Amino acid sequence: MWGYIARRLLQTIPVVLGATLLIYAMVFLQPGDPIVALFGEKPVSETARAQIEAQYHLDQPFIVQWLLFLKGAMVGDFGLSYSGQPVSDLIARALPVTFQLAFMALVIEAVLGVIAGFYAGLRRGKIFDSTMLVVSLIVIAIPIFVLGFTMQLVFGVQLGWVPPTVGGNVTFTNLVLPAVVLGLVSFAYVLRLTRTSVIENLGADHVRTALAHGVPRTQVNRRHVLRNSMIPVVTYLGADLGTLMGGAVVTEGIFNINGIGNLAYQAILRGENPTVVSVVTVMVLIYVVMSLLVDLLYAALDPRIRYV
Amino acid sequence: MSDPTASAEQPLPGQNHFVADIEQTPLEATGTVDTTEAPKSQWKEAWKVLKGNWLFWVSAVLLLFILVIVIVPGLFSGVDPRSADLSKSLQGPQSGHPFGFDKQGYDVYSRVIHGARASVVVGLLTTIIVMIIGIITGALAGYYGRWVDAFVSRVTDIFFAIPLLLAAIVGLSALNNIWPDRGYWGGVIAVVIALAAFGWPQFTRIARGAVLEIKHLEFVDASKAIGSSQMKTLFSHIIPNSLAPVIVTATVSLGVYIVAEATLSFLGIGLPSSIVSWGNDIAAAQSQVRTGSNLHVLLFPAGGLALTVLSFMLLGDAVRDALDPKVRK
Repeated sequence: MWGYIARRLLQTIPVVLGATLLIYAMVFLQPGDPIVALFGEKPVSETARAQIEAQYHLDQPFIVQWLLFLKGAMVGDFGLSYSGQPVSDLIARALPVTFQLAFMALVIEAVLGVIAGFYAGLRRGKIFDSTMLVVSLIVIAIPIFVLGFTMQLVFGVQLGWVPPTVGGNVTFTNLVLPAVVLGLVSFAYVLRLTRTSVIENLGADHVRTALAHGVPRTQVNRRHVLRNSMIPVVTYLGADLGTLMGGAVVTEGIFNINGIGNLAYQAILRGENPTVVSVVTVMVLIYVVMSLLVDLLYAALDPRIRYV
Repeated sequence: MSDPTASAEQPLPGQNHFVADIEQTPLEATGTVDTTEAPKSQWKEAWKVLKGNWLFWVSAVLLLFILVIVIVPGLFSGVDPRSADLSKSLQGPQSGHPFGFDKQGYDVYSRVIHGARASVVVGLLTTIIVMIIGIITGALAGYYGRWVDAFVSRVTDIFFAIPLLLAAIVGLSALNNIWPDRGYWGGVIAVVIALAAFGWPQFTRIARGAVLEIKHLEFVDASKAIGSSQMKTLFSHIIPNSLAPVIVTATVSLGVYIVAEATLSFLGIGLPSSIVSWGNDIAAAQSQVRTGSNLHVLLFPAGGLALTVLSFMLLGDAVRDALDPKVRK
C-alpha cells in the first residue's frame, strides 16, 4: 500500500513538471512586451525597465524563468503579480471560495446523480428512466451559462429567493444556486454513468447467483449492484473536481463570485502572466491529488483490487 | 491376440452406451447452414440494430436538416444577418421575421440560421482532429507498449491535468497575440486549435484501451503469420477493429465541443464578435434579458444550439447501443 502510494507520487512528478512547463510556454512564449502593457500609454524609462525585468526574471532565458518559478512554488511562493501583490495571497483569498463552491457542486451532483441513475437503471425503459434520460440530455445540450442566467433570472431576480449575485458575501445559502448551476452538467453525466453501470451489473453473474441464493432483491440491489456500479462513477467524480474548478470560470462570472476561476479569467484578459501560471499550477496539483485519492478509493469499493 | 472380426461386435473402449447412426442424428442439419457465407462484420450487425432504433432516425433527420442549413443558409433566410435596423430594436416575432429582432435591430431568425455554420464547423473539425490524433497515438501506445506507451501515457497525463476550459482560454489568448485579425475562417480555426490541443488525450486513452483489448486476439497473430508488416497489421487489422468506442465518444464529444465553443465566445475570447455565431448571440442576449423581458433574443439562438447538441447526443446514444453488446437488451 505505502509502496504503491510512493510510486504513484513519483509518477506525478513528471506530470506536474510537464503541465507547468506547458502552461508556462503558452503564457510566456508570446510576442508582446508585458512591461509595455504594464505601463500602458506612459513611456518606460530604461532604469525602470531593467528593475522590473530583474524583479520578474524577464531578463533570464525562458527555461530559467520556469525553474525559478518552480523553486518558489515548491515553498508556496508564487512571486508577485504585475500589479505588485503576492500571487499566493490572491490564491489564498480565492481558493477557499471556489473550493467551497466546487465541493458543494460535487456533493449535489454525486448524491442526486447516483440516486436518480440507480433508480433509472433498476427501472430501465419505464417512465422514470425515460424522463431522467431526457432531462440529462437537455441539461447537457443547453450551455451552462444559459442555464446559469436563466436560473439567476428566475430564482434571483423574479422570485427573489436568493441574491442574484454573491459578490463579497460568501455564505452557504448564497452559494447554493451557483453550486447547483455548476454541478448540473456533471449531474447529468453521473446519472447516465450510474444508469449504464447499474444496467450492466444487473445482468452480471454474481447478481444472479445472489438472487438464486435467496438474498432479498433490495439487498442485492444495494450491496451487489449499487456498490459495483460505483467504480466508474467514483473515477468520474474524482476527475470532475478539477473540471468543476475550471468550469467555475463561467459560474463565478455569472454570479460575480471572487473565486479562483474569476481570478484566472481576469488574469488571462489582463495579461497577468505570473497569476495565470500560478493558478493553473494549483489546479494541476488539485487534479493530481484527486486522482491519487480515487485510485486508493478503488480498494474500498472493489476488494479484488490490491495495491502492491 | 484378439480376433479383429470379433472386436467389431464388441463395444469399442469407452463406447459402452448406445451410439446412433449418423443418419439418425440432428447433425444432418449442419448441411443447411451455409458455411461459405462471409460472417457479418461488426458494422453490419450494428447497422441492423441502428436501423430499428427510432431515436437514430430522429437524430439523423435533424442532423441532416442542420447540415443543409450550415451549407446553404441562404436557402432558409434571405435576410442579411448583419443588416441592423435600430428602429426595430427588440421588437418581438412578427410576420416575415418569425423570431423578432434583437437590441441592435438584427433579425434574430436570420442570425440563428447563419450562426449554425460557425458552431457546427467548430464541433466537426475539432472532433475529426482529436479523433485522428487520438487513434494514431493511442494505437501506437497500445500496440508497441513499453517506452512508447510510457511516453504517450505520461504526455496524455500532462494534458489531462490542465482543465480543458481554462487551457482553451489561455491558448486562445496566446493565439490572439500571435495571430490577430484572422477573419471568419481564421477565427473558427483558432477555436478549433485551442479545443483540439487539449481534447485529444481523451481519445488517446480510449483508443489505447481498445487496442490493448484486441491485440492478443487470433486475427492479429494470423495477420503476422501471413507475413504482413507491423504497420499493415496495425492499420488494416488492429485500428479498424478498435474504432467502435472511439466513434461512440466522438459523437458525444461533437456536442460537447459545440457547447465549449459557445462558452468561449460567451466569455468573449472564442469567436470574434464580428462572426455570426450562436455563442456570440447568446452572450449578447444576456444583457438584453436581465429583467425577464425580450426573452426571444435569448431563446432562439440557445434553442438552435441545444437542438444541435441534443441531436448529436441522441445519435451518440443510438450508436453506442448498436455497437456495445453489453448494454444491448
